[in-house]
Amino acid sequence: MMNDYDVVVIGAGNGGLTAALSLAKNGCKVLLLEQHNIPGGCATSFIRGRFEFEVALHQLSGLGTESQPGPLRDTFRRLGVLDKLDFVEQENLFRIVLPGKLDITLRACRDDIVRVLKDRFPAESSGIDRFFNLMYLFSTQMIFGVYSRDPEISKTKYPEFFEYAAQDLQAVMDKYLSDPLLKLSIGNYWSYLGLPFNKLSFLDYAIMLFSYIELKPFHIKGSSQALSSALLDAFLKAGGDVRFNCKARKIVVKDKQVQGVVTADGFEISTRHVVSNASTLTTYLEMIDIGDLPESIIQSFSSRTIGLSACGLYLGFDCEPQDMGVTESTNFIYMSDDLDRMFRLGRTLEKPEMVMFSCFDVEDPSFSPTGAAQGALMATSYAEPWLSVPPNQYAETKYEYTQNLLDMLDLIYPDCREHIEEAEVSTPLTHMRYLGHPGGAIYGLDQYVKDTNLFVSPHSAIKGLFFAGAWANSGGFQVTLASGESAARYVLKSLNQ
Amino acid sequence: MAKIDYRKDIQGYEQLRGEIEILNKYGTDYESHRGSVTRVIDRLHPTRLQLKVSEIKKETGTTKTIRFISSGRRLPPFQAGQYINLFVKIGDVRTSRPYSLSSAPHQTGFYDITVRKVESGFVSSYLLDELQVGDELESTAPAGYFYHNPIFHGKDLVFLAGGSGITPLMSMIREVTDRGLNLNIHLIYGSRNYEDIIYYDEIEERAARHSQFRVTHVISEPPSDYTGCCGFISADLLRDVLGDVSDKTFYLCGPDAMYRFCRQELSNLCIPKKKIRNEMFGPPADITSDQYWPTQINPRTTFKVTVHNGKTFPAVAGETLMASLERAGLSVPSSCRSGECSLCRTKLLSGTVFHPRSVKLRKSDIKYGYIHPCVAYPLEDLLIII
Ligand SMILES: Cc1cc2nc3c(=O)[nH]c(=O)nc-3n(C[C@H](O)[C@H](O)[C@H](O)COP(=O)(O)OP(=O)(O)OC[C@H]3O[C@@H](n4cnc5c(N)ncnc54)[C@H](O)[C@@H]3O)c2cc1C
Ligand SMILES: Cc1cc2nc3c(=O)[nH]c(=O)nc-3n(C[C@H](O)[C@H](O)[C@H](O)COP(=O)(O)OP(=O)(O)OC[C@H]3O[C@@H](n4cnc5c(N)ncnc54)[C@H](O)[C@@H]3O)c2cc1C
Ligand code: FES
Repeated sequence: MMNDYDVVVIGAGNGGLTAALSLAKNGCKVLLLEQHNIPGGCATSFIRGRFEFEVALHQLSGLGTESQPGPLRDTFRRLGVLDKLDFVEQENLFRIVLPGKLDITLRACRDDIVRVLKDRFPAESSGIDRFFNLMYLFSTQMIFGVYSRDPEISKTKYPEFFEYAAQDLQAVMDKYLSDPLLKLSIGNYWSYLGLPFNKLSFLDYAIMLFSYIELKPFHIKGSSQALSSALLDAFLKAGGDVRFNCKARKIVVKDKQVQGVVTADGFEISTRHVVSNASTLTTYLEMIDIGDLPESIIQSFSSRTIGLSACGLYLGFDCEPQDMGVTESTNFIYMSDDLDRMFRLGRTLEKPEMVMFSCFDVEDPSFSPTGAAQGALMATSYAEPWLSVPPNQYAETKYEYTQNLLDMLDLIYPDCREHIEEAEVSTPLTHMRYLGHPGGAIYGLDQYVKDTNLFVSPHSAIKGLFFAGAWANSGGFQVTLASGESAARYVLKSLNQ
Repeated sequence: MAKIDYRKDIQGYEQLRGEIEILNKYGTDYESHRGSVTRVIDRLHPTRLQLKVSEIKKETGTTKTIRFISSGRRLPPFQAGQYINLFVKIGDVRTSRPYSLSSAPHQTGFYDITVRKVESGFVSSYLLDELQVGDELESTAPAGYFYHNPIFHGKDLVFLAGGSGITPLMSMIREVTDRGLNLNIHLIYGSRNYEDIIYYDEIEERAARHSQFRVTHVISEPPSDYTGCCGFISADLLRDVLGDVSDKTFYLCGPDAMYRFCRQELSNLCIPKKKIRNEMFGPPADITSDQYWPTQINPRTTFKVTVHNGKTFPAVAGETLMASLERAGLSVPSSCRSGECSLCRTKLLSGTVFHPRSVKLRKSDIKYGYIHPCVAYPLEDLLIII
């Protein structure tokens, strides 16, 4: 049988792009379908006035420096886009502020972090050392034992890994640390995963913090759109075809084998391989006829919950960051240290108690026009409360909600408000609209301790159907970019059979 | 994963397995979620609206208001100031034009647009002369960024309108006065003569009834006995009628010439750029009057445009590539037709085009050769992907 394409990739988010590019580079005939008019999914930008706003990327993990490359740098090199991109290394992990109680800045350097924490929490000096020792030991064991697939992996060879891999972050921190503000400082990146310490896997957290420290956080010149556009350009140069404004409506399946794809405008494409960058749930629920679905497949999602989204305020300022006293790229502002409460508030429209504020111009003055700066003010939040807002009250509700975020920014950078030249709001519904994902989830499904990659095996319910992106395993730039390459490997294996 | 499953040796692993088993039985039933994302999104941002003309009202000698009701699902909400892109088929040409909604958003049962006749205008003539009550048309959902943003626009608003540029502002005036919102509006409305003023009676009546809304008409070609404000909307005039201009946000909507003039006047008043909001109003009437237009190119020169794996068609330098595409029976998606929304984003493989400075292209789109055909003018033969 003649196929129009070897592979059809649905969605040009990070995972879809790297899958498509990887396959095209390996000589496959690939068609990439994207419902939006631009590649990137979350990894995109939009323009208001004289500003091009970064949508998603705050801190790129996993890249590493030229002398100490991380896995993401290798991925970019293999895909041929490394020399098309300019990266900006961020000196600090973050500044964390709880007004009146805590205000410290942590550099991306272990010794420095430990020193700053000990200065601020002198009574916990030894606990801090022991926690960081454990975190480093654990992460290294994870890298050698699991990532490098050590065939001799065992409890005796990697004792810390086997002891802590199924623990939550709270339990591990409680063992070594006592001041809640110290825990907050170390666990601050919880919001990148969206779960409070007692629900968050120590494994996920340790690896994330470890790699931000060791491989440094980065930003991309020209925003994450520069990355998506470079990936797409390389894909076109490798002979790939792309269609924008073209939603995949249906995956045709017969006898549990992919046969083709139908687009929303009724175009039929025959192929035996599909990589879906759409959410796993959407792919199964909306794109495949019920009769063609293996019975247990929807059931197998029962134990999972739809992950978090975000509410954001994108701000263009008519002055440079210093003029407003902004000296760090990444800032976390808290109103309390009660994470469980914050997590609950994320399911309401009440005033949130944590907000993050990124200002890329601090380390890359070319990010915004000369004499101007942009900031992204962001609270993590779930879609639920937004679903019950009547459509005609949506606009008012979103402005009210984001005023709360600005109020928090006011507390540490009081001059920001009067310098606003542009402001655009995003809510979980915005992400839902542009990505098509349930809940507007930006990291896929929630990742509780039981849901870490270690315990969840990838789906493969239908022959020829593969997944890439946040819903395939977990979210974030590093993971989703890698997921496309790995989906491509599976497809190639199947094509060669 | 390694061959032997090492995971069961992880402390606490069995307990987690147990938890997963239980949740698999009693967790969420996602079967019932089928269709939910589309349902939610369609309430706010459906891709297309099916509209039916329910009323046509003459406003002035050259202007009519067309009222649409939905012949499909409920009309989605919008923010006063937004527009829809209306699709039409005239002869063999399928094209579209954006029109601001002039009705207020709290009137949820219908959308009004108010169209002024443009000299030999292709679509405006059709809408004014041909369209009948009962006709059905398609449009995009409301879009655009010309609306009151409470985050930074403040409460004192000055509307500078020229001609049909009143339409998005009228929607805001209606909303603010009807709902008694805590905002003050001063409308300064430039028209050629008295007969040309759109919504005259309604504006006067609202100004008389609501202290939060004031109006100043400015007539550019006044009769000899006229005693009100005349000429253009100048800095002097603004200072006279507004008094203190600081802390006010200015909204501009009108023809090209008015923008150029008013921007200069506002800058003479030292109004910072962030206090000035502009609506775009389509491609410039005459692109060769753009100060950066390459004067060596005759706007009547015809170039050849070839679609990658598709047909070749002629395109005149002085007309937008989008118009030439549509004349050739081709189409690319569009919404603002002013270079702002990026919906028409198209890859240029070879050749060059002219974009006015107002075009909003992303940095990486410039780098990789993407153009916005709605405001791109060919300067050479082109090869494009659509
Ligand atoms: C505000 C925000 C801040 C973030 N901050 C960070 C950060 O600092 N660091 C970090 O690492 N990560 C961050 N993330 C997360 C990260 O951006 C995402 O996890 C990642 O980009 C998801 O990539 P993905 O491959 O899953 O694809 P997605 O970005 O989810 O894209 C999926 C694509 O598929 C398309 N699609 C879906 N259905 C169809 C269909 N039927 N037909 C055609 N196309 C379809 C969509 O249009 C979309 O383009 C952030 C995200 C957001 C939104
Ligand atoms: C956001 C926005 C809001 C607007 N709101 C309003 C409003 O409320 N009221 C209002 O009156 N106007 C409004 N406009 C302007 C409106 O969209 C039209 O530009 C206006 O009605 C003139 O259109 P026209 O087709 O009559 O004029 P034309 O000048 O004929 O059309 C514009 C272009 O169409 C092309 N064209 C001409 N003939 C053909 C043909 N045969 N085939 C293909 N292309 C052809 C020409 O190249 C010409 O440059 C708005 C514009 C914008 C961007
Ligand atoms: S239609 Fe909006 S940019 Fe061209």
